[in-house]
Amino acid sequence: MQQGVLIYCFDTPEVSYHKVANVSMSLVREYLDLPITVITNHATLSSWQHRPEANFVIIENATNNTKLGLPWHNLERCEAFDNSPYDRTIVIDVDYLCFSDKLKSLCNSRHDFLIHDQAHDVSQRQVLTYERMAMLPLVWATVLIFSKTERVRRIFGAVKLVKQNYHHYCNLYRINYKNFRNDYAFAIALNQINGYHGYDVIPDSIATLPHDCQVLSRDHHGLNYRYLNNVNRITCQDVHVLNKEFANV
Amino acid sequence: MDINELKRHSDLSFDRAVAKKNLLSRAESELITVYQDHIFRADPVTIATARTLMEHKDSFFLLDANSNPVYIKDPKQFLSQLLEKQQAALNTYHQAYQSLKSLKE
Repeated sequence: MQQGVLIYCFDTPEVSYHKVANVSMSLVREYLDLPITVITNHATLSSWQHRPEANFVIIENATNNTKLGLPWHNLERCEAFDNSPYDRTIVIDVDYLCFSDKLKSLCNSRHDFLIHDQAHDVSQRQVLTYERMAMLPLVWATVLIFSKTERVRRIFGAVKLVKQNYHHYCNLYRINYKNFRNDYAFAIALNQINGYHGYDVIPDSIATLPHDCQVLSRDHHGLNYRYLNNVNRITCQDVHVLNKEFANV
Repeated sequence: MDINELKRHSDLSFDRAVAKKNLLSRAESELITVYQDHIFRADPVTIATARTLMEHKDSFFLLDANSNPVYIKDPKQFLSQLLEKQQAALNTYHQAYQSLKSLKE
């Protein structure tokens, strides 16, 4: 059974996501030692100098989603089942940095689909905790681990259906965030596919560095970051870094 | 103690508390282990349950981290893996915690 990592990477006018991908891919190679497939577009690939070793797949991505008024190219995640060349796939956000082999270990479990249902803010200001109006338990689609089973094909099929009818599902589940967000789409799909009951999850929380935390330096073991007047360090723990400037450090 | 000193002391305590929470969250993440294709947490409850069952049975059933039942055929190997994982995580936590405690006032 071939295992591998799948990363979606599309530059926007504001962020050179391919530089972010260079960082995350080097850590994937170091900590997971798995083959990598990058789903990207022509424009990103053509500006990508010093491309790391990986299998690059070119697609025409949809570009009609925004976040805080800026382009947000996140509409392809529901195609991961078809895009992945692997039997067992780890999908990670391009800004998810592996500083441990945790995902590889989870990849060896029997679960055909795994996702996190918890994330926490490492600055401990609880900026990820927001007033929950939604009528269902939420998940974080930052990391997905899946096998190519019929059940998983149905999960991704449900995510596509939710995406096509997103506003309807937002109304149904009292989701106030109207721009398409994979976290909600997967939460809705998993909720429905699993008969409105629970499902298996990755039993820990994603360490997340919020937008206003600045990465000061990084090495192969972790990174130093600043928020307000505080400087701190994360080591030996995977971290989701929301401020993309870390690629330029 | 004047107000500036109090603020400095309070800020330092806050930084320590944040760092400790993050170290603990890392340790909890490191407790995750896969055995017989199932995900377990090498936490005290799992270890104590495995140890107790092992004293009475050659093999037993246990719930994994997602409450799925697992037949543990080799309890000794299972317990050994749990202990190794738990002690590795706590050792890392301990070392980092000592550094944290030694931060200058």
